[in-house]
Amino acid sequence: MTGAQFLFYALGLATVMGGLGVVLSRNVVHSALALLLSLIAVAGIYVLLYAEFLALVQVLIYGGAIVILLLFVLMLTRSGESPLVLDNPQKPVALVVSLLFMAIAIVSFFLTRWKLAQAPRGVDFSVLGGSLFQDWVLPFEVASLVLLVALMGAIIIARESPQ
Amino acid sequence: MNYWLFFPELLLVGLAFLLLIADLFLPTSRKHYLAFLGALSLAGVAAAALTLRGEKVSLFSGMFLVDDYALFFKFFFPALGVLVLLASVEYAKKRLTHTGEYYGLILISVLAMMLMTAAGELLTAYISLELLSFSLYIMAAYERDNPKSSEAGLKYILLGAFSSALLLYGISLIYGLAGTTSFEGIGRLVQGGNGPALFLGLALIIAGLGFKLAVVPFHMWAPDVYEGSPLPVTAYLSVASKAAGFALLLRLFATAFAPLMVDWQGVLAGVAAVTMTVGNLVAIQQRNIKRLLAYSAIGQAGYLLLGVVVLSPQAADAILFHLAGYAASNLAAFVAIIAYFNQTGHEDIPDYAGLAERAPFVALTLSIALFSLAGLPFFAGFTTKFYLFLAAAQGGFLWLAALAVLNSLISLYYYLLIVKEMYISPPPPQAGRLPVSILLHGVLGVLLIAVFLIGIYPSPLLTLIQAATRPLFF
Repeated sequence: MTGAQFLFYALGLATVMGGLGVVLSRNVVHSALALLLSLIAVAGIYVLLYAEFLALVQVLIYGGAIVILLLFVLMLTRSGESPLVLDNPQKPVALVVSLLFMAIAIVSFFLTRWKLAQAPRGVDFSVLGGSLFQDWVLPFEVASLVLLVALMGAIIIARESPQ
Repeated sequence: MNYWLFFPELLLVGLAFLLLIADLFLPTSRKHYLAFLGALSLAGVAAAALTLRGEKVSLFSGMFLVDDYALFFKFFFPALGVLVLLASVEYAKKRLTHTGEYYGLILISVLAMMLMTAAGELLTAYISLELLSFSLYIMAAYERDNPKSSEAGLKYILLGAFSSALLLYGISLIYGLAGTTSFEGIGRLVQGGNGPALFLGLALIIAGLGFKLAVVPFHMWAPDVYEGSPLPVTAYLSVASKAAGFALLLRLFATAFAPLMVDWQGVLAGVAAVTMTVGNLVAIQQRNIKRLLAYSAIGQAGYLLLGVVVLSPQAADAILFHLAGYAASNLAAFVAIIAYFNQTGHEDIPDYAGLAERAPFVALTLSIALFSLAGLPFFAGFTTKFYLFLAAAQGGFLWLAALAVLNSLISLYYYLLIVKEMYISPPPPQAGRLPVSILLHGVLGVLLIAVFLIGIYPSPLLTLIQAATRPLFF
């Protein structure tokens, strides 16, 4: 096993463990910290893929801003104090279905001939900017509309009613 | 690049913002002006789209297509938007707060649907679908004083997020195999079996879109969301979002996945058969009229899937034709229900007893709309279903067409139960005539004309539709 392969498996394991921690932890704050582990590990995978800028952004925005925001929300509201159990009797069924789906996905990934990407090279910032603001500008701008709608929704649903 | 080709969309974004800003300066008693402003805006957008006739180009390196197919929906969705805006006025005044944002969300969702039908690659289609879904999540939860509405919003957003995840996972697998997200590129590259991951991706995309379209077995959210949402939103959900989903599905399968037809045809045929049967059988047992129409909409989605299964040029025409007929009939039914609900606040079928005496025109429109949904002659539903089932039979799916006819007969039974309630059951004592606003009468009249026109003289619409579906088959 080469060093890169070892790193990939280690980071993959960390991502999955973090994800499991988010779902299985009884304490919401612990869930948020497990999420941080998962997100940082994904940043590591980006580094392995020569996408340094993406890795940087991942650490700054997801690892930094979003998780901290999440922790703030948890600490400023009372949601951390009463552990929520969002379970229902369908848990075993869900487990079976998920495992079945995982098995199908793994088997089909191994049986498929994937096209290999060209030898990876670092991505230039100017290339990234060009593709984001020229080729992909339409989905990019639609995404900003999605954010606007989400903000409007947050205000409409969360604001005290005028009466 | 010629930005003029993108003008209707830009205009609509601008007008939606204008409406949201105008909302800040209007007192609560005059918020309904915004509905008329929104209706005018949408009419302007449709007029601007007129200049794009006959174009066939793509913008943003193939992400945004300007062709007759997209153009058809640049008239279709604004028209639906106008009708829903006008039908919402009285309801919004009585039962909703933040009505300005409500009208703004309708404009933004019309934009999202126009983008969905014009998308030429998976990510643009996905993000437009998400824009539509976000607007609808909020609109479903709009009636803040009604816990059922909040429940509808929550259920919708949770299942919507789940289905988006399925769709995205499918898109990522297809991208991994084809190396591109453009529909045309996928169509060229996925020919010849690449292995099972391709089918997994395809299955996930079908499941993800199936949730959005509420086809069985992905329909569980629909009745609860339809029942809990404010009535005009339910009308909008059952007509516009379904039409947008089918428009995207049709373009996606006709251009990207057509080479794989033998692989997905059987699966979709099964889904179509189950969808129409379950939708119509469960509808029989419903007492709440919104739930009944939710299940009837599921049944209609099954009929529409027939066209996607066959995917001949004729079937594509039939899908658009049935979408138009279904939209007119279903909206007419919902506007009649809104008119009744505005005055009484009731929505169970036994409450409709004696409506023919209390509001004759509303009862007449509701009956005609229901007959049209069932597919009786002279109404839109008969002509459009005839085209659709004929296309299915000619495409080699005679058994599916026969099943669809059988299901239409079943649906006639539960539609007739409502008609019987309105015309034969006596009205409750001391129930006088119901006042219905001129605006709602006007909307009902327009829809009634549309139902008859599509049913009796469909050739102008069919000519438009044939031009619209041509770009799908080169």
